[in-house]
Amino acid sequence: MKPDLTVFLAGIKMKNPVMTASGTYGFGDAYTDFYALGELGALVVKGVTLEPRRGNPPPRLAETPAGLLNSIGLENPGVEAVLKHYLPGLSQAGTPVIVNIAGNSIDDYVRVAERLHASPVVKALEVNISCPNVKCGGLAFGSEPGMASQVIGAVKRHSRLPVIAKLSPNVTDIGEIALAVEEAGADAISLINTLVGMKIDIKKRRPALANLVGGLSGPAVRPVAVRMVYEVSQKVKVPLIGLGGIITAEDALEFIMAGASAVAVGTGNFINPCCCREIIAGLTAYCETNKIANITALTGAAWRYDDGSC
Amino acid sequence: MKYHVREVRVVDNVKTGGDIYLLTLAAPAIAAAALPGQFIHLRCGEGLDPLLRRPFSIYGVDRKNSLVQTWYQVVGKGTDLLRKAKAGKTLDVIGPLGKGFFTDIAGRNAGLVGGGMGIAPLMFLGGELAQNNRVHSFFGVRSKAQLPPGLSFPTPLVATEDGSAGRRGLVTDVLEQELQRQKMDILYACGPRAMLQQVVKLAQKYDIPLQVSLESAMACGVGACLGCACEKSGADGESWLKACQDGPVFWAAEVKWE
Ligand SMILES: Cc1cc2nc3c(=O)[nH]c(=O)nc-3n(C[C@H](O)[C@H](O)[C@H](O)COP(=O)(O)OP(=O)(O)OC[C@H]3O[C@@H](n4cnc5c(N)ncnc54)[C@H](O)[C@@H]3O)c2cc1C
Ligand SMILES: Cc1cc2nc3c(=O)[nH]c(=O)nc-3n(C[C@H](O)[C@H](O)[C@H](O)COP(=O)(O)O)c2cc1C
Ligand code: FES
Repeated sequence: MKPDLTVFLAGIKMKNPVMTASGTYGFGDAYTDFYALGELGALVVKGVTLEPRRGNPPPRLAETPAGLLNSIGLENPGVEAVLKHYLPGLSQAGTPVIVNIAGNSIDDYVRVAERLHASPVVKALEVNISCPNVKCGGLAFGSEPGMASQVIGAVKRHSRLPVIAKLSPNVTDIGEIALAVEEAGADAISLINTLVGMKIDIKKRRPALANLVGGLSGPAVRPVAVRMVYEVSQKVKVPLIGLGGIITAEDALEFIMAGASAVAVGTGNFINPCCCREIIAGLTAYCETNKIANITALTGAAWRYDDGSC
Repeated sequence: MKYHVREVRVVDNVKTGGDIYLLTLAAPAIAAAALPGQFIHLRCGEGLDPLLRRPFSIYGVDRKNSLVQTWYQVVGKGTDLLRKAKAGKTLDVIGPLGKGFFTDIAGRNAGLVGGGMGIAPLMFLGGELAQNNRVHSFFGVRSKAQLPPGLSFPTPLVATEDGSAGRRGLVTDVLEQELQRQKMDILYACGPRAMLQQVVKLAQKYDIPLQVSLESAMACGVGACLGCACEKSGADGESWLKACQDGPVFWAAEVKWE
């Protein structure tokens, strides 16, 4: 019998637990020549702000061992353009569409969330309180439990859509922030956004990125992300979306066994444009081989080895 | 435009001089679709370091035998791995990617200006244009060993830094001399930024339309990451040009040069 990969998350039914990570898949248009969007568990699009944002100057990318530093800086055409030009085309996507939102103030977040109600395409909001690449906002909201809870609480009060809080790993106590956003009403939590990092170009004797610092993603961050999912999933009741360096089905399984209900693929898409599709196939194969009828049975499979010393 | 993700076979990977290699791949789908100025995005190795694919211009295409070539210089980790890929090995390649050169011309004087590895896309372009046009090419390299093999259009005018071939000096000086002698209808350029800036000035001075192929660091190569932003000219400076998707080839007037 074919294993059941269906997961329910934040009120959304997904045919499998594999989603795209915001900012690595455009608005769903970049990879359609490789496979159909309908194969995905869910599509998470690029971060959207109230006004258009130009983003940071180039160079915006630097490679590190098994990692990628980016300083895109939330470049996006603004919520009105997204509503007009990008979302309508996704009505036939065949997969739930989740819009990632960001802002400079709580009011910004709320207004973007309210505007997105206008689109029948949007099934949930992922609230980015963790972008390391913008001067104000973003990370500032995600590094302190009080602020994190205010943003999530405000979006939740003004939105009829399910709210996913996307947290930053650049904090001392991830558990504390997670509990705060859960209490504020988050329906799910995404872990993790990028880690703040830096690279120096020794030939030019200057930082490799024009923005000086950027967000580290890719396999280099995976152990950090897995640890955070493992810890947070045992503290909160809401489901987690695990991400950070997932390239293969084995990587995805690590996150699921650590306690994630779903996973998202970011940098992996750049390495292998068929990454998501191959992970879905790999998860199916794993369940078949190991006689797992429903993939949800694997969530938190690694917890029972916890003697409390973590 | 469909992309192709393929395990493609290395047919040949040979040194053409110095630290520069010519890679020949058996890639029917790419060979059938490729246009001059487009690039392929390939994984140099199988491991996670280097992590990202590397972009290389399409240097030549043999449609009959379904072969695609790139001509690359060893500059770092990725290209050093690529250098070691032997005939028979498979490589993970996607392409053809990007927007190529404007080639809808006939009976014209077309000038190709290449500096260093920027010569690569012009080799494919020159071969195509030469079928219906008069191709004049101007190549600038450090020394003779860096000149490309396998020319399929009239011999280029060469400038070398060390005087080992052609004229010692800058390719743009050689270009200007020729522009004083005869009128070009269109120019195409690829090479270091400083060279491009100089070609832009000459194109303005002699009032010739110019296309440039830009380089930028890339992650996805397909328009998904916004990593390859290049600055736009004029009032439209609010957004960026995506080198991988809007380019790598642009009309010089689209790009901000200062
Ligand atoms: C559209 C496009 C087409 C290209 N076509 C060709 C081609 O036909 N032939 C070719 O040889 N190269 C080409 N390049 C450049 C090529 O992609 C890089 O040289 C390659 O990615 C370097 O990889 P690496 O791992 O060896 O070097 P890395 O380890 O990434 O870098 C090593 C050193 O080289 C420098 N470097 C990296 N990329 C470049 C670059 N683009 N230009 C100059 N210095 C660089 C780095 O700053 C670093 O100091 C092209 C680039 C683009 C964007
Ligand atoms: C180029 C790039 C752009 C990104 N843009 C966003 C964004 O707009 N909003 C957001 O919440 N996260 C953004 N991220 C973070 C990713 O969604 C993801 O959390 C992170 O990259 C870790 O996953 P990965 O290792 O699979 O890439 C971006 C990451 C990259 C590499
Ligand atoms: S390289 Fe990703 S958008 Fe151009």
